[in-house]
Amino acid sequence: MTSEQSKRPLARLVPGGARAARGKLRRRLSAAVRLVAALTLAGGLYTAYAPGVGRAEETVKLSDAAANGKAIYEVSCITCHGRNAQGVENRGPSLIGVGSAAVEFQVNTGRMPLARQEAQAERKTPQFDESQAAELGAYIQELGGGPQLPSAESLDEQVKQARGSDKILAHGGELYRVNCSSCHAFSTGGGALSSGKFAPSLQHSTNRDIYAAMLTGPQNMPVFGNNQLSPDDKAAIIAYIQDLNKNEAADPGGWALGRYGPVPEGLVIFLVGIAALVFATLWIAGKS
Amino acid sequence: MKRRKIDVRALPANSARALDERFQAATPLRRLMNKVFPDHWSFLLGEIALYSFIVLLLSGIFLALFFDPSLREVVYDGSYAPLRGVEMSQAYNTALHISFDVRGGLFMRQMHHWAALLFMAAIVVHMFRVFFTGAFRKPREANWIVGVLLFWMGFLEGFGGYSLPDDALSGTGLRIASAIMLSIPIVGTWVTTSLFGGEFPGEVILDRLYIVHVLLVPGALLGLISVHMGLLVKQKHTQWPGPGRTNNNVVGVRMFPGFAAKAGGFFMIVFAMIAALAGLFQINPIWLFGPYKAAVVSAASQPDWYVMFLDGSTRLFPAWEIRFDFFYGDGYTIPPIFWPTVVLPGILTMLPIFYPFIEARFSKDKEVHNLLQRPRDNPLRTALGAMAIAFYVVLLISGGNDVVADKFHISLNAMTWAGRIGILIVPPLAYYVAFRVALGLQQHDREVLAHGVETGIIRRLPDGKFVEIHQPLPSGNGHGPSDEEAHHGLEYGGWVVPKKMNRLGALAPTVKGFFYPIEKAGPAPKPRQLDDDRDREEITSGH
Amino acid sequence: MTTHHPSDDEFDASDASLTRFDLVKEGARRDGVQIVHYAPRFPVPGTRAERRIERVLSFLFLLTGLMGTAFVVAYIAWPWKYGEGDSTYRALFPYYTPVLGATLGLCLLSLGLGIVVWSKKLLPEEVSIQERHDGPSDSTEQVLTAATILNMGDELGLKRRRFVGLAFLAGAAPLGAVAGALLVGSLIKAPTQDGENVFFTTGWDPKHNDGKPVRLTHEDGTPIRPADVSVGGQITVFPGIPHGATNKWADSPTLLIHLREQDAELTKKQAKELNHGSQWQNFVAYSKICTHAGCPASLYEQQTNRLLCPCHQSQFQITDNARPIFGPASRALPQLPITVDDEGYFIATQDYKIPVGPAFWERP
Repeated sequence: MTSEQSKRPLARLVPGGARAARGKLRRRLSAAVRLVAALTLAGGLYTAYAPGVGRAEETVKLSDAAANGKAIYEVSCITCHGRNAQGVENRGPSLIGVGSAAVEFQVNTGRMPLARQEAQAERKTPQFDESQAAELGAYIQELGGGPQLPSAESLDEQVKQARGSDKILAHGGELYRVNCSSCHAFSTGGGALSSGKFAPSLQHSTNRDIYAAMLTGPQNMPVFGNNQLSPDDKAAIIAYIQDLNKNEAADPGGWALGRYGPVPEGLVIFLVGIAALVFATLWIAGKS
Repeated sequence: MKRRKIDVRALPANSARALDERFQAATPLRRLMNKVFPDHWSFLLGEIALYSFIVLLLSGIFLALFFDPSLREVVYDGSYAPLRGVEMSQAYNTALHISFDVRGGLFMRQMHHWAALLFMAAIVVHMFRVFFTGAFRKPREANWIVGVLLFWMGFLEGFGGYSLPDDALSGTGLRIASAIMLSIPIVGTWVTTSLFGGEFPGEVILDRLYIVHVLLVPGALLGLISVHMGLLVKQKHTQWPGPGRTNNNVVGVRMFPGFAAKAGGFFMIVFAMIAALAGLFQINPIWLFGPYKAAVVSAASQPDWYVMFLDGSTRLFPAWEIRFDFFYGDGYTIPPIFWPTVVLPGILTMLPIFYPFIEARFSKDKEVHNLLQRPRDNPLRTALGAMAIAFYVVLLISGGNDVVADKFHISLNAMTWAGRIGILIVPPLAYYVAFRVALGLQQHDREVLAHGVETGIIRRLPDGKFVEIHQPLPSGNGHGPSDEEAHHGLEYGGWVVPKKMNRLGALAPTVKGFFYPIEKAGPAPKPRQLDDDRDREEITSGH
Repeated sequence: MTTHHPSDDEFDASDASLTRFDLVKEGARRDGVQIVHYAPRFPVPGTRAERRIERVLSFLFLLTGLMGTAFVVAYIAWPWKYGEGDSTYRALFPYYTPVLGATLGLCLLSLGLGIVVWSKKLLPEEVSIQERHDGPSDSTEQVLTAATILNMGDELGLKRRRFVGLAFLAGAAPLGAVAGALLVGSLIKAPTQDGENVFFTTGWDPKHNDGKPVRLTHEDGTPIRPADVSVGGQITVFPGIPHGATNKWADSPTLLIHLREQDAELTKKQAKELNHGSQWQNFVAYSKICTHAGCPASLYEQQTNRLLCPCHQSQFQITDNARPIFGPASRALPQLPITVDDEGYFIATQDYKIPVGPAFWERP
C-alpha cells in the first residue's frame, strides 16, 4: 500500500517536469541540473507524502501495547523489515501474517534484531525484555494477524502437568523422535544442517520458545502448525524436552559428555583411557 | 581303625609330588616360570587389549543373563517413565531393563561398552607400536597377520554389540549395513535378503547377530588371541637393542615373580580404568534414542569410534555411480557406497597382511629379527606408517564431521570438502614430514656419537673464536673411547643415544623420576656375560 | 655367569651346601636362562626407606579392602531405582552408577598400584638373559619329518590303488557339500516375494490395500487432509495399511511437504517426466529413505527447500525432483504420486515408480 502510494506520484511528476524543460540544445547541458531537480523533487515529495501515509495508518486503531511496540519497531526493526513491516528486498522479510508468536520467539531468544547477516541468526542475549517483545508482537499481530502464543503461565502449567503424566511424556517422546530429533538430535543438543546452517540446541530454551518455534517455523525450521501438532501435542513434546534437560535422572550413567554420542566417547577413550594407561605403562616399565 | 595323622607341613610337598607323578609337570612348569620377558613400556600396550577382552567376557556373560535379542513387539512397562507404554522390540525392552531395573545393570552395560572401546583402541595403538618398531618382521609375520585379523574380528564384534539393543542408533547402523550389503555387485540383493531373512529389517536379524556376537566371533577372538599368545611364547618377545641384548637372546626379568607381578598389577589398573569410565562417563544412553523405527533418525548419528573411519570414507566418497547399460534390459548399477565400505576395507585388510612380505621383498631382507628398530632408523617405514595414520585420521574426523561442524560453527559442506581435499593432501604431507623428522633425528644421533653431548658451555678460544664444549661419550665397555672410536665417532647401537649430561654413563634409558630426574643415573648393568667379542659384534650391528 | 657349568648329570640337587637360590640358578640354567644381575632392594632389613615402602603398600591394600567394601555397601544401599522414592532418594539416584564406578575403580586401582609397587620396590633387582633358539630345525630333523609325511602316502598306497583314492574323493566331495548346503541352503532367501523383487515395491502399492489406492496416514493410522500441514511444514507419513507405520514396511516412510506457492510452482516447472503429475497442488511427497545408505533423510530446511540426510550428509533439492546436490548420494529421492480422494484425504495414486532406498546391482 504505502510503497504504491509513494511511487505513483513520482512516476507521474518527474517525467512531467522533464517534459516541460525539453529542448534540443539545452537538453545535454541541463541534464545534470534536471537530475538534481528530479531527485530533490522526489525526495521532497516522499517526505511530504510519507507522514501522510503514517497518519492514514494511525487511523487504524492500535492498542496501547501495539503503539508502544510500533515505537520500538520504528527504532530497531524498520531498517530491515521496512515501514509497516512490509519487508525490504534482500534485507528482511515482510512480517505481515507472521503473528506475535514469531516476533516474540525471535526477540525473546535474542535472534532479532540481527547483529549481522549470516547463514543463520544465532541465539544471543535478548536486546528487549519480555514485555517489550510482547508489545512488538502486539504491533505485528494487529498489523497483519497470524499465530499467537498461549500465555507463559498457562503453557508452563500445561507442561508441568504433562511432565507429571508418564503417558503424555511418552507420547511427547514419540512425537519428538519422529518430528524433531532428525535435526535437534535425540539429546536435544542440536545438529548441523547444510552449508553452515544448524538446528540449535534446545537445552536452554523456555517452554514458550519451543512452542513458538514449532508454531512459526523460524528460519529453516519447518512449520508445525496447530493443525499438524495440536497444542496438547506441543505441550507433550515440550514436556519431553524439558524432562530430558531438567531431570537429572535422565543421565544416570555419569557425565553425559554433552550427549553428543560416539564422537566424544571416542575422544574419551583416547584422551582419558589410553592416555592414562600409557602413563601407567611408563611408570610400570620405568626404572625403579 | 587307627586314624592317620596328616602332616600339614608336608602337605604342599606331597601334593606337588602327587601331581608330578601324574602330569610330569616339574620341568615345563619351571620352564614357564623362568621364561624371560623384556621390559619396556611400549610392550604393555597389547596387554591393555588382552585385559579389556577379559573384562568384556566377564561383563558380557552378565549382560547375557538378562538380554533377549528378540524382535517381538512388546509394550514397555519398566521404570523409565518417558518410554512407558511405548511399543518396542523385546531386545530394546530387555536392554532398558538391564539399564533401569537390574541392580548395577547400567554399570555393567557401560563397563561392557567402555571395555569394547578400550579393546579396539589398545589394538590400534599396539598395532602402531608393532609397525613402527618393525616387530612384524621375520619370524613374526604370522603373528602380525593374526593381529590384523583380531582387529577386524573386534570390529565385527563391536558392530554386533552396537546393533543388538535395537535402539534407534542400532537400527540406523544396521540399515546402513544392509545398504552396504546391497551394494555388492551381482549378489547384493541375495546376500541381504539371505542374512536379514527378507527385506530389511526382517524378523531374524537380531537373533542371528546375537549368536554371532556371543558365540561365533568371541570364539574366533579367543582362538586368535590364543594363537597370538602362543606364537609370542614360542617365538619369544622382541627386544630393543642395548647393552648385552642380541638377536639371539632376551634380556629382562623372569616371568615369575617379576613380570607376572607387574602384569597382574597392570591388569588391575586397566580393570580400574574401565570401571572408572563405566561409572563416571555415560556411554550409549539408549533410553534417549527410543526404539528403532525406520522413520526415526537423529542428527549426529555416528557409529562407535572404530567404525567411524568407514563412516568417514562413506561421507567423503563422491557420488560416483557406475552404470552398465546394455542394449537390452534395464542395465546394472554399482552404487557409490560400494567403494568406501566394501572395497576400501578389503584393501585395508590386504595391505597390512602383505606388508611384512612387501617390505622384506623391497629391502631384500631375509634375516630373522628379534631386535626392534627405532622408528627413526627406518625412515621409509616410519613415513609410510605416518601416511597411513594420516589417512586414517582424516577419515576418522570426517566420520564425526557433522559434530565438528555443529560444535565449532563450521559449514558442514566445508567440512566434507576439507575431508575430500585433506584425504589427498595430508597423507603425502605426513609422509614427507615423518621422513624428514626421522632423518633429522638420525643426524642428531650421529652428531652426538661423533662429537659428544652438547654441554651448553661456551668457551672462547685464544684467537677469539667461540666453541661449545662437547662431552665425549664413553664407549660401550665403559673405559672411554678407543683410539679408533675417538677418530671416527662411536658406532650407533640402534638405541637411545644419551643427549643430556645427566644421562651419561647410564646405559639404561630411564632415569628415576617421571618429569625430571630425581637421582643420579645409576651405573650400567654390568655386561658380565659379554666376555667374548662375538656378542658385542651383534650388539653394535643391531637391527 | 659362573665359569664352571656342571652338566645336568654332575649336579647334585641334594647337596646340602647349595642354597635355595643356587637351585633356582641351576633350574634357570637348564631352561636356558642366566640370572646375570640379582640384588635385593633392601640388603639391610628395617631401614627407613623399606619401612616407608611397607607403609605405602599396607595403605594401598587396606584401601583396596575399604573401597571394595564401600562398593558392596553402595551397591546394596544406594538409591538405584529410577523415578522412585522421596526427594532424597531421587537426589541421590543419579550418583548410583558414578559411586559404583568410583569405588570399584579406586579399589582395583589401589590393588594394581600395590602389586606394581611391590614388584618395583621390594622384589630383587634382576636382569636375566634367555637364549633364543630361532632358525629352522636341524636339517636331519627336516628330512626325517618329511620322510614320515611322505611315507603316509606310501602306506595308504594311493599310487597302487588309484581308483580307491578317486572313489574316496568322489565320496567325500558330496559330504563337504552337505555342510555347505546346510549352511547356505538354510540361510539363502531370494529377494523375491510373490514373484516380485521386494526391493521394487513398498507399502504404497495398492495391492496391499485390496487394490485401492493407499492413504497417507499419521503414525497412529489416521489419514491426513491437506489442511493438516501448514505452509512450510512437513510431516512423516506412512502407508495406510495394517502395520503400515511399523518396521515391517521400513521402506515406506515418506515425507509430505507443503511448499510455498512460488516453490511449488518452481517444483512443478522443474519436474522431470517421471515425476509429472506426482505433485498435488502445493504438496509433494518424497521417500524418506535416503538413496545412499537408507537412513531417513529428514532434515528439511523450509527456506532453502533442501533435505539433508544426517548419516552421510547427502543433500537433496526438493524443488528440483529431490535431486542430490551434495554428498555421496547419486540418485534423487523417488517421488510418491499423490492426490486427494473424494473424502478429502491424501492418497498415493500408485506405488513409487522407481525403487526406494539404497541402490543395488539390479536397480535400473
